[in-house]
Amino acid sequence: MTSTEAGALAPAPTQRKRPIGLLLVAVPVLLVLWLIIWPIISAVIQTLWLPTPDGGRTFSAESYEFFVSDPYSRANLAITLWTTGVCAVLLLVICLPIALYLRFSNSKIAAYVQGLAIFPMFVPSIILSFAFIRVLGPNGTVDLLLNSVGLPKIKSPYLTPWGPVIGLVWDNIPLTVLILLSGLGNVSNQAIEAARDVGAGRFALLWHIILPRISNSILVAISFAVLGIFSAFTLPYVLGPAAPEMMGPFMQRTFRDLFDPTNAITQAVITFGFCIVFGLFYVRSVAKNRTP
Amino acid sequence: MSVLTIKDVTKLFPGGTKAVDSFSLEVADGELVCLLGPSGSGKSTLLRMVGGFETPTSGLIAIDGEDITRTPPEKRPTGMVFQSHALWTHMDVAKNLAFGLKLRRLPADEIKRRVEAVLELVGLGGYGSRRVTQLSGGQQQRVALARSLVLEPKILLLDEPFASLDQHLRERLREEVRDIQQRVGITTLFVTHGQDEALSMADRIVVMRDGRTEQIDRPDVVYRNPQTPFVAGFIGTMNLIEGTVSNGQFTRAGFSHRLAIGDGPATLAVRPEALDIVPAEPGAGKVHRVTDYGTHGLVDFDLPDGKRLKAMVNQPGQFQHGQGVNLMPRAVAAYRDDVQVFRSAP
Ligand SMILES: Nc1ncnc2c1ncn2[C@@H]1O[C@H](COP(=O)(O)OP(=O)(O)OP(=O)(O)O)[C@@H](O)[C@H]1O
Ligand SMILES: [Mg+2]
Repeated sequence: MTSTEAGALAPAPTQRKRPIGLLLVAVPVLLVLWLIIWPIISAVIQTLWLPTPDGGRTFSAESYEFFVSDPYSRANLAITLWTTGVCAVLLLVICLPIALYLRFSNSKIAAYVQGLAIFPMFVPSIILSFAFIRVLGPNGTVDLLLNSVGLPKIKSPYLTPWGPVIGLVWDNIPLTVLILLSGLGNVSNQAIEAARDVGAGRFALLWHIILPRISNSILVAISFAVLGIFSAFTLPYVLGPAAPEMMGPFMQRTFRDLFDPTNAITQAVITFGFCIVFGLFYVRSVAKNRTP
Repeated sequence: MSVLTIKDVTKLFPGGTKAVDSFSLEVADGELVCLLGPSGSGKSTLLRMVGGFETPTSGLIAIDGEDITRTPPEKRPTGMVFQSHALWTHMDVAKNLAFGLKLRRLPADEIKRRVEAVLELVGLGGYGSRRVTQLSGGQQQRVALARSLVLEPKILLLDEPFASLDQHLRERLREEVRDIQQRVGITTLFVTHGQDEALSMADRIVVMRDGRTEQIDRPDVVYRNPQTPFVAGFIGTMNLIEGTVSNGQFTRAGFSHRLAIGDGPATLAVRPEALDIVPAEPGAGKVHRVTDYGTHGLVDFDLPDGKRLKAMVNQPGQFQHGQGVNLMPRAVAAYRDDVQVFRSAP
C-alpha cells in the first residue's frame, strides 16, 4: 500500500549500480526475446508471407481466411472456448468453497483437506488420464460398482467433451486453490469479525467483504487456469472426442498427420491471440494489485 | 440505557488453557469499565465473549436482562473496536460506516445523515470520501470507533484500540474517546494493559490476573487501596517488601516497622511518595541512584540484602550515591497470603 510512496521517497540509485542492474535484467529479457517474442514474430510472418508456386513469397491472409471459413476449424475453436469457459466456471465453483474452508476452519481435518487439494499437482496428466479411464471409462470402477448393486451403467464422459473438462478441472484444482488461498490470507480476521459485529451474516460477509478483497486473486487464478487449459494437449488428446477436438490436439494432428505446417502455425497464432487476451487480464490485475 | 451482566463466566480453550475463570461483573448504564491486567490475563477473551466471538464454556452474559450467551455477534447489540487492521480497505470511510446501516436496510438519506453526524462526532467531518488507507493510524481508529457508534449499540467494546499508536496520540485519543463516551452515554467495556489509560478513563477498573478478578473498584481506590499485593505491584509504582512479623514488629534485613498484626510472614507495601527517607550513617539502606525530575526527585536505594526500593523526595540534592539512609514509611498496607491484613489510616 505504501510501496509507491516509499519508492518515490527512496533515494535515487547511484549511477554506479546501474550497469549491473541492467545486466541482470538483460538476461531474462534476451531469453524472452529469443524464445518467445522471436518465434511469435516468425510464426506471424510465416503465416502471412506464403510461398508462391514460382518459389517466391507473397503477402496473403489466405491461411487465416481458410481457418475462419472452415467449419471444422471453427468447431474446434468453439469446443476449445467452451471447454475453457466450463472449466473456469467449475474451477471457481469447486475451489472457492475449498479455499474458504481451508482459510476459516480451525479443525484438524483442514490440514488433510489441504494436502488432498494440492495432491493432483504431483500427478502427471498422463497418469491422471488413465486413472480417469479406469474409473469413469466404459466398464470402469464406477460401472462395476453400479453393476454389482444391479444399477444400469453410466453414460461415460470418456471421449465426450466432458472428458477433458473433468480431467482439466481436476488438474487445475491445486493451483487455483493455492492462489485463492493466498488471496484469502490478505483478509484479516479482524476485518471479518468487524463485519460480523456490524451484523453481516454469512452471505453478506462473502459478498461484501471477502469477494471484493480477493477479486484480484480470482482473476489471477482464472487467468492462470484458462491459459493452461486453452492450449492443453495431453488430457484433451487422451480423453476428448476425435471430432471436434481442442486446439492442442488439432495443431498436433495438422502438423504431424496432415503435414500442413502453415495451417498448424496459423492455428497456433490464433490460439496465442486468445491466450494473450487472458494474459492481459492477468497483467492488468497484477498491476492493479501493485498500485491500490 | 443498558446494563451488562457477566455471571460466573469461564472459558476453557481446547488446548486446556483456562483463559477466563468464574468471572463476574455488572456494568451499570453509561458506565465505562476498564479491564486491566498483564498479557495473557484473559482480557481479550472476556471481551470477545461479550462481543460473541467466543462462546463461554459456562456462565451467563446478559444485556438489559436478556441472555445473549450464545447469540452470534451479528445478532448482538454490541459494537466492537479492534486493535487494528479491522477497517475494510476496499471501501472508503463513508462506506465503512454505512455498511452496517445498509444491512439494516435503512433509507439512503437516513444513512447519509447518520454517517455524517457520527463522522462529525469523532472529529472526521468531511473525511467520508477518503480511502481508509489514506488515513493516519489515529484517524483509522477513529473511523473504527465511528463505525461501531453509528449503529448505536447498547454496549461498546474496545480491545486495546490505541495499542498501535504512539504515546502522544494515545493520550489525546484517550481523552477524546472518554468525551465521546460520556456525551453519548454508552455503556462501555475497555480493555487495556496500560494502567495510566485505565486510571485516566475508567469509572471502575477490573484488575485481572490469570482469568480471575483481583479487584474491582474506582480508579482512585484501586490506586490508594489495592486489595492484593498483585494489584499493588501492578498499578503505579509500589515498594513491596517481603518480611516477617513478630510481636507487632515487621522486619526485613535491617529495616523494621511497627505492624499490628499476628506473627508470621507478611508483605509490606509502600508507595514511593509515602516513603520518607533521611540521611543517616550507617542507615538501613544505601542510596543507589538519585534522579532529579525538577519538581521532585526519585531515590533508588538498597536494603543490606540487595532489595531495591524507591522513595520520592522533595530535595534530591541532599542524597548521593553510596550514602546511608533511614526509612520512615508514612502510609503502609500489609498483605498475607494474597489478602490485605493491614492498612494504615489514610
Ligand atoms: N483461540 C485461542 N486458543 C487457545 N488459547 C487461547 C486462544 N486465545 C487466547 N488463548 C489463551 O488464553 C489466555 C488469555 O488470552 P487473552 O488474549 O484473553 O489475553 P489478554 O489479557 O488479552 O492478553 P494481551 O494483553 O496480551 O492481549 C492466554 O493464555 C492465551 O494463550
Ligand atoms: Mg488482548
